[in-house]
Amino acid sequence: MFTRFHFFQVFVFVLVVLLGLGLFQTQVLRGSYYYELSKRNRIRLIPLEAPRGRVLDQKGRLLAANRSSYNVIAIPEDIIPEVYPRLAKLLGIPEKEVRRRMSAGREYPFAPAVIMEDVPQELAFRIEERRPELSGVSVRVEGIRYYPYGETASHVIGYIGAVNPRECAELDHDRFGPASKIGRDGIERAFDDELRGWRGGQQIEVDARGQMVRVLSDLKPEPGSDITLTLDLEFQKKIMNMVKGLHASIAVLDLQTDGLLAMASAPAYDPNIFVSPASSEQRLQVLKDENAPMLDRGINAAYPPGSIFKLVTALAGLDLGKITPETRFRCNGSFQLGPKSKPVHCWLHEGHGNLNLYEAIERSCNVYFWNVAKRLTPDEIAHYAHVLGLGEPLRLEISHMAPGLIPDSAWKKARFNQPWYQGETLNMAIGQGYMLVTPFEILRLTSIIAKNGKVVEPHLVVQDRTMMPEASRVAIREENLDAVKRGMLQVVESDYGTGQLARVDFDKLAGKTGTAQAPPLKAHSWMTGFFPYKDPKIAFVVFVEHGGSGGITSARLVKQILETWKDLHAAPVA
Amino acid sequence: MLRRWLNGIYFPLFFSVVALAAIGIFFIYSASYRDPGNYEIKQVFWILAGLAVLVGVPFIGYRPFLSVSYPFYVLTIVLLVLVDFFGNRVMGAQRWLTLGPIAIQPSEFAKIGALLAGVNFLGSHHPWEGQTKTVSIALVLLAVPLLLIIKQPDLGTALLFIPMSVVILFLWGVRKRFLITSFSALALAAPLAWEFLKPYQKKRLMVFLNPNLDPLGSGYTALQSRIAVGSGGFWGKGYLGGTQTQLHFVPEHHTDFIFCVIGEELGFLGSLLVLCLYGFLFHSIFLVMQHTTDVKAKMLCGGVLALLFSHVIINVGMTIGLMPIAGVPLPLVSYGGSSFIMICMSLGLVLSVYKERSIF
Repeated sequence: MFTRFHFFQVFVFVLVVLLGLGLFQTQVLRGSYYYELSKRNRIRLIPLEAPRGRVLDQKGRLLAANRSSYNVIAIPEDIIPEVYPRLAKLLGIPEKEVRRRMSAGREYPFAPAVIMEDVPQELAFRIEERRPELSGVSVRVEGIRYYPYGETASHVIGYIGAVNPRECAELDHDRFGPASKIGRDGIERAFDDELRGWRGGQQIEVDARGQMVRVLSDLKPEPGSDITLTLDLEFQKKIMNMVKGLHASIAVLDLQTDGLLAMASAPAYDPNIFVSPASSEQRLQVLKDENAPMLDRGINAAYPPGSIFKLVTALAGLDLGKITPETRFRCNGSFQLGPKSKPVHCWLHEGHGNLNLYEAIERSCNVYFWNVAKRLTPDEIAHYAHVLGLGEPLRLEISHMAPGLIPDSAWKKARFNQPWYQGETLNMAIGQGYMLVTPFEILRLTSIIAKNGKVVEPHLVVQDRTMMPEASRVAIREENLDAVKRGMLQVVESDYGTGQLARVDFDKLAGKTGTAQAPPLKAHSWMTGFFPYKDPKIAFVVFVEHGGSGGITSARLVKQILETWKDLHAAPVA
Repeated sequence: MLRRWLNGIYFPLFFSVVALAAIGIFFIYSASYRDPGNYEIKQVFWILAGLAVLVGVPFIGYRPFLSVSYPFYVLTIVLLVLVDFFGNRVMGAQRWLTLGPIAIQPSEFAKIGALLAGVNFLGSHHPWEGQTKTVSIALVLLAVPLLLIIKQPDLGTALLFIPMSVVILFLWGVRKRFLITSFSALALAAPLAWEFLKPYQKKRLMVFLNPNLDPLGSGYTALQSRIAVGSGGFWGKGYLGGTQTQLHFVPEHHTDFIFCVIGEELGFLGSLLVLCLYGFLFHSIFLVMQHTTDVKAKMLCGGVLALLFSHVIINVGMTIGLMPIAGVPLPLVSYGGSSFIMICMSLGLVLSVYKERSIF
């Protein structure tokens, strides 16, 4: 009787016999073929790097692209000893170095090692001509990163560098090999995943002299995707020219899309020097430069905001009902907290006289805001600063630093184990003391005010607006924001305003200057604002490190920015 | 006493285990003598421990094992969950649990735990009573460790549960209808399961169907292992004479790819020898099955056989391109303590079935 047991038995032995037949086929029938393949191992693996995606500006102009580069590669197993001195002489490097590069960073046995990247075309041709005496060496044309405009948007785009072996071991081998590049800063780093494609490769069979017989298997690399930025290259270039020689940061935001039109930080660096190994000298210079060209002063450095912070103090006072726009204080040039306190002075020693809030913002009167601060606690001011985005992390794609610092009583307790003194509230109200903010936090603050309290998050990569959720609003009443906006208008348009130098003849500008004390050096110069006053289209921040008075250095830059913007963008308004 | 004990050892089976283990030592040495690690010395200790288990288990008999099968099953499940939290990550998969100086692979013990529990449960229910409930519970028993192992992720080991489960259900007397429905259910579930696979697992399967998809990765491993085995030809390149495996073209050659070393150095003759030893081992298990009247014992032996058999087919099959690349050891030959002891324990159960054979 044929039972289930027998069925099982037959099944097992049939499969074992089939396996035996498979072995017979592989080892006996095709044995000599595989033996040939195994002699000197005739299979070569050629990894192919995927072309990196490009970075474009809003009009499709290339900010980061690829150019072709001639790379000298060698398969060490195919090299005979006489080749080393010949190759070393051709490339102009010591023979020991050739041997070191030959053995470093290879993925598989018989995989090509990169001996020298980006050699001149003429040298590449010479090597190709002499291939018969350079067995195992060849020249491969590959894509290499190229930044056509050098310094123009270096902090935004960032740069790339070779992966180190430790990173390489942890990364996906479909996407990274020992010779791969990885984004190290800016967009290149933040969008590395998108820009990087998928590696491909070829399995080729070679003959005994290392010449290819045929391709056994071929997988084309998949190029990375392009990234389109909101930047306007022309605008960016002109702004970079304005700040040449300064230590400064300028950013201009399109208020319709919340996309950045320009984002400049000076001094800047040329990202191309990170691409080619030949420029290691320049790289070292940039990294050691005490002017810190690698530092993006807009998002990665924090400074005292100075008088710009008076906008926050004003909003806190208005929104908590401690003052109205018509509340008046008298400025006679100095202020005393209590009868016994040491008097502190307004920047205008003669005093501003009797002012309401609009005039106080317009003339940036310290005494007025000290009087407001007297009615507020530091924690109330800090609360409004946070509501307006100061000391809060940016959601900008390339931002990865902790935000600035807004002190409050709990912070002081934790930091110095001391209570908060009321005198410090005075400092805080005018943006001095412990407080530090990044220029981009100020840009966000101004944009929120310009958009009547709508939350604004500046961004760099073009987004699909229809996919975006409706922006929420900050918890500040609109009429209070309107009052502050009117004060900002007077800063520029009134003949007493601190920012009159920024005034342009084609429309009305609203802004606020700041001059933040930074002894023993010159003060930091600030100006922020939005334009036009009615129906704002752009917001901006200008910051010049040790640039002196905000109303002079920065305001002059603002005027240039607006004129450039009008030339490039706006059809003349009215 | 000693005589009775010796009487319980089924020598053909014992012989094939020792022979395969010896081949294992020689080729673990050949595969790894250039690397540090002294794997062959370590393996000698594992083999001695395994053989002690092999002859020790019949002394206890398989019935006590069946009677503690549920607690043992629960223990293996707990170990699988533990490995998820505390396990060592080796090449992206969490499979090892370190206990002092030794690292154990709970999935190996889960195989035998699930087998014992499944056999005990099915054996306690007669196939003529309603099958639906019994079969469903048995399937759940077998599926829990399987899913935990998939999660590690160790797809190869997890799939080995399937032939084992099919065989014990089949020998128990499950209706053909059930087998057909569950196979069609599996076939229908396959596209769903695809979604849960890790990218590298998907790639290995895709590459099996189309080696061009990953010429530098697993396609390369598959080609190189085939070259290694094939280049051995009929006579082989001689012991320690393999070039493919010695030059590290084939990864993990002392564990999962040890058959490449054997095939390359001993050629078709050596491969056939190993295959015949397995055939002999399977045959002796069949003989043991024939001589028992206990349904549980029969299912137990069948399950052990199915486990060994599927290991061999997948492992040897992948080296010659008949199966996708999977991390499955060659039983008794590959380096690895947990696997060797697990197999010795299960063969010890087969021996104890032999010891209680009916005489007619």
